[in-house]
Amino acid sequence: MAPLSVISLSLCFLLPLLSPAISTNSEGNALHALRRRLSDPTNVLQSWDPTLVNPCTWFHVTCDSNNHVIRLDLGNSNISGTLGPELAQLQHLQYLELYKNDISGEIPKELGNLKNLVGLDLYGNRFEGEIPKSFSGLKSLRFLRLNNNNLTGSIPRELTALSNLKVFDVSNNDLCGTTPVDGPFGMFSMPSYANNMRLNGPELKGLVPYNFGC
Amino acid sequence: MDSTQISRFSLFITVFSCILAFSFGDNSSSTDAHWLLRIKSKLVDPAGVLESWSPRAHICSWNGLTCSHDEAFVIALNLSASTLSGSIPTELWNLVSLQTLDLSLNLITGSIPPEIGRLRNLRTLILFANNLSGKIPTEIGLLKKLQVLRIGDNMLAAQIPPSIGNLTELRVLGLAYCQLNGSIPAEIGNLKNLVFLDLQHNSLSGFIPAEIHNCEELQNFAASNNMLDGEIPASIGKLKSLLILNLANNSLSGSIPPEISGLSNLQYLNLLGNRLNGEIPWELNHLVQLQKLDLSSNNLSGTINLLNIHLQNLQVVVFSNNALTGSIPSNFCLKNSNLHQLFLAQNKLSGGFPLGLLNCSSLQQLDLSNNNLEGELPPTIDKLEKLTDLLLNNNSFNGSLPPEIGNMSNLENLYLFDNMITGSIPVEIGKLLSLSTIYLYDNQMSGSIPMELTNCASLTAIDFFGNHFSGSIPETIGKLKDLVLLQLRQNDLSGPIPPSLGYCKKLQQLALADNKLSGSLPATFRFLSQLSTITLYNNSFEGPLPDSLYSLRNLKIINLSHNKFSGTILPLTGSNSLTALDLTNNSFSGSIPSRLAISTNLGRLRLANNLLNGSIPSELGQLKELIFLDLSFNNLTGEVPSQLSTCQKLQHLLLNDNHFTGKMPSWLGSLHDLGELHLSSNNFQGQVPAELGNCSRLLKLSLHTNNLSGQIPHEIGQLTSLNVLNLQRNNLSGSIPPTIQQCKKLYELRLSENLLSGPIPSEIGKLTELQVILDLSRNLLSGEIPSSLGDLLKLERLNLSFNRLGGELPSSLGQLTSLVMLNLSNNHLRGQLSSTFSGFPPTSFSGNDKLCGPPLTSCMDSAGHENNILSSTAVVCIIVAIVFTSTVICLVMIYIMLRMWCNMREVLISNSTEGGGNGIEQIKREDQERWMYGDEKKRKGEYWRVMSSMALVPSQNHDDHISSSCILQVKMDTKKLGI
Repeated sequence: MAPLSVISLSLCFLLPLLSPAISTNSEGNALHALRRRLSDPTNVLQSWDPTLVNPCTWFHVTCDSNNHVIRLDLGNSNISGTLGPELAQLQHLQYLELYKNDISGEIPKELGNLKNLVGLDLYGNRFEGEIPKSFSGLKSLRFLRLNNNNLTGSIPRELTALSNLKVFDVSNNDLCGTTPVDGPFGMFSMPSYANNMRLNGPELKGLVPYNFGC
Repeated sequence: MDSTQISRFSLFITVFSCILAFSFGDNSSSTDAHWLLRIKSKLVDPAGVLESWSPRAHICSWNGLTCSHDEAFVIALNLSASTLSGSIPTELWNLVSLQTLDLSLNLITGSIPPEIGRLRNLRTLILFANNLSGKIPTEIGLLKKLQVLRIGDNMLAAQIPPSIGNLTELRVLGLAYCQLNGSIPAEIGNLKNLVFLDLQHNSLSGFIPAEIHNCEELQNFAASNNMLDGEIPASIGKLKSLLILNLANNSLSGSIPPEISGLSNLQYLNLLGNRLNGEIPWELNHLVQLQKLDLSSNNLSGTINLLNIHLQNLQVVVFSNNALTGSIPSNFCLKNSNLHQLFLAQNKLSGGFPLGLLNCSSLQQLDLSNNNLEGELPPTIDKLEKLTDLLLNNNSFNGSLPPEIGNMSNLENLYLFDNMITGSIPVEIGKLLSLSTIYLYDNQMSGSIPMELTNCASLTAIDFFGNHFSGSIPETIGKLKDLVLLQLRQNDLSGPIPPSLGYCKKLQQLALADNKLSGSLPATFRFLSQLSTITLYNNSFEGPLPDSLYSLRNLKIINLSHNKFSGTILPLTGSNSLTALDLTNNSFSGSIPSRLAISTNLGRLRLANNLLNGSIPSELGQLKELIFLDLSFNNLTGEVPSQLSTCQKLQHLLLNDNHFTGKMPSWLGSLHDLGELHLSSNNFQGQVPAELGNCSRLLKLSLHTNNLSGQIPHEIGQLTSLNVLNLQRNNLSGSIPPTIQQCKKLYELRLSENLLSGPIPSEIGKLTELQVILDLSRNLLSGEIPSSLGDLLKLERLNLSFNRLGGELPSSLGQLTSLVMLNLSNNHLRGQLSSTFSGFPPTSFSGNDKLCGPPLTSCMDSAGHENNILSSTAVVCIIVAIVFTSTVICLVMIYIMLRMWCNMREVLISNSTEGGGNGIEQIKREDQERWMYGDEKKRKGEYWRVMSSMALVPSQNHDDHISSSCILQVKMDTKKLGI
């Protein structure tokens, strides 16, 4: 009777182990972990079957010829929930399109490891917290659109290292401090920063603290 | 007489009979017989256990009945396990002399009626394992002589009546496996004689009553699988007689009370699955009788400080799934320890392999998985010679596998996966004749797989996935007659598959993918009749498949993709239970066998990148479960059979890069789940069927490089999910349908190399998610470029070249800040290029005769060319005019500058008296206002440079900066004036 529970417990540990590992399909696992975090009322993620060898035949996922994920297109898909650190495993990702959804929580700092990322479109969600400083590691980034979220804090000055950055939009957030002027930030104009009540215009190196007003 | 009258009458009769029974005591057994016969008539008795109940026989000989010595009374009724059904007959309550009533293990329904309180002589009441429902009647408290009450495993609900506390003689109380709710009544503490209390598997909530400590005789207290909360009462430690305490799977919180050490006779303690926190109290070491201890799945923290030195009777310890830290004490076990099972998985244990365990010489199962353990496995691990299960997976162990592991001759299951173990598998592994499962996956192991492994004749599962094993698969693998799983994926294995593998006749799963294996499949595979999954992708296998594979009737999943297999695929069609067949990227030839259609559960059929010819067999229409059909990049011909329209679950249909002919099938519009349709690079003719508009889930539609003609149907606008539309390289004519604006999710649109005419619909500007490319090049498009294209803010590539577009370039195109590639060449565009285009190469604009400005030649030059007939006097006049105007402008500028400088100085002086910070804010605000109302055509960079220099105003060198900002501002103002 009662001692049985100990045995059944030990079986609980053993059973999952008896099924062999399916893969080190790290990209598929990362995407599946993302799926578990998201609520998907319109079933756009229905085809995401983790038992497949790779995620390349999943809808909204695009791979290159080496079966590495290069695009994730979930813009305007009625999804909510949060993002997690596992997205950093999509090492070949070039475009992360999650715009116009209801995703909340912080932007995982681990996204800064995506060395091949060209476009990061998170606009039109409910992201909060700060823009990760780690984004300075997105060496290939050209398009960064974070507008229409609830982001706070200052624009990390580290982003001035993004030499390829062509488009930068953080309008309609709750950012504060001053805006960088170095590197690619020399060419970004007012609309990039619009509607951040506590954002105070270009930085005045040495005269006013960078985080002025935060 | 209505029914109430009848029942009243019968009640009267019953009461009367009762009175008779009491008044004529000498006659009572015959009265009992009367009632018993009534009872018999009311019970459903399919097994006939009551057949002996007959007036002809003496009542004391009836089955299940026990009479008193003088045969005067029936004192026991035992009808356990007699398949009786029906409800408890009310006549039963007249058998007042009953001392024992046992109706357990029947199918009795209905409730336990309050009348049970009349059986005042009952000492034993056993009704467990029936279908009794309702509540436990309060009247049960009237049975003062009751010693055993077992009524569990029924559907009894509601609360345990507090009157149960009146049963002071009670020794056994069994209420498990019901639906009882409410809390455990405090009156339970009145049961001084209680030995056995079983409340498991109910819905009891609330606290465990502290009064329980009054049950001094209690030996077994089991209340697992309820919803009890609160803390474990410290007073529980007073239950000196307790042998078993099981409170598993409740919501108990707080820490384990140290007073529990008072349970000096305790042999079994189970607290798993609660919310207990804090450390494991050291006082548990006093429970010297303890044999089994389970504290798993709580939030316990701190280090393990239990010592087998004290707890010498301990056999089973389960602490898994807590937050325990540190290591295990070095003196954890004595030499003569009795510990058989130690489960510490899913904690935060750190340090090296706990050497303190090596003295636990009786240990049979050790689970340290999912911790933070590191370092090498000790060579002395073979001291655990009785070990059958060693689970060290999901840690950070490194170093190599010690050869001494070969001495652990009882080892059956070895789980070392998800560590960082290096080195090779020691040949001594071959001594493990009991070894059944060896999981080494996700490590860094290398070297060859030793042939000695095949001496482990008990092996059923081998998983070496994700290591760096090299060399070949041992030729003697066929010795493993019990092998069910062989998983060697993602290693560096080379050479052929040994033919002896075919003798592993129990093999069900064979995974050799992602290696460097070569050669052809051995014909011995025909013996693998149990094989259900075979995955060999990403190797260099070659040659035709052995025909005998046709005899493998249990195959479900086949993936041979990315090899060099050749010949026909017919040998793979023997099974009718295929669910997935993937042969992508091989050199298979011949036709697609119609026999594939017998696997009616086939969901994925992928034959792309082969040399298949012939047409698609119409029988494939029988595959109702087909989701994925990929036949692309073959030499397939003919028309696409209309029977495929019955594959209603199709989500992916990839037929591109073949030689298909005929019209594009209109039935495609009936495949409502279609998400991906690739028919490109074939010879399809005719129109794009309007019915395609019904495939509203389409994400990618690619029909390029065919001979499609006619107009693009306006129904294309119904594809509101579409991400990619590629119709390039066809003969499509007519205009681009404005309905395309409804495809709001398009990020890639290619309509190039067709015969499209008319203007570009301005509605295309609504496709604001266009990103990868908008390619309308090489058509016959005319008219002006719509200024709405300037709304495509995400667009990275725009190609409108080789059309007949005219007019000036809309200035809005300058807003396309994301644009990386722009090709407007070879049109009829004219006018001056705005400076925003100067960053693009001249080839972006070439072939437009009347277009000028950077990066093309300056408009002056081209103007000069046009006006080269001007006389030299006219030229002189122009020069004089220019010099004169510029002088005037200069003078005006100097005047304004002086005025501004004076004004500015006054403003600044007043500002500095108000305070620097305000000054900045004010100037900024001015700036912003000016920006809002300012000239939109201004170069933005220039403006920002002004802003930053303006912002420097409050620095100490006031005057310098003031002047510079003044000048710039003036310059801008004059520009504005000029326009």
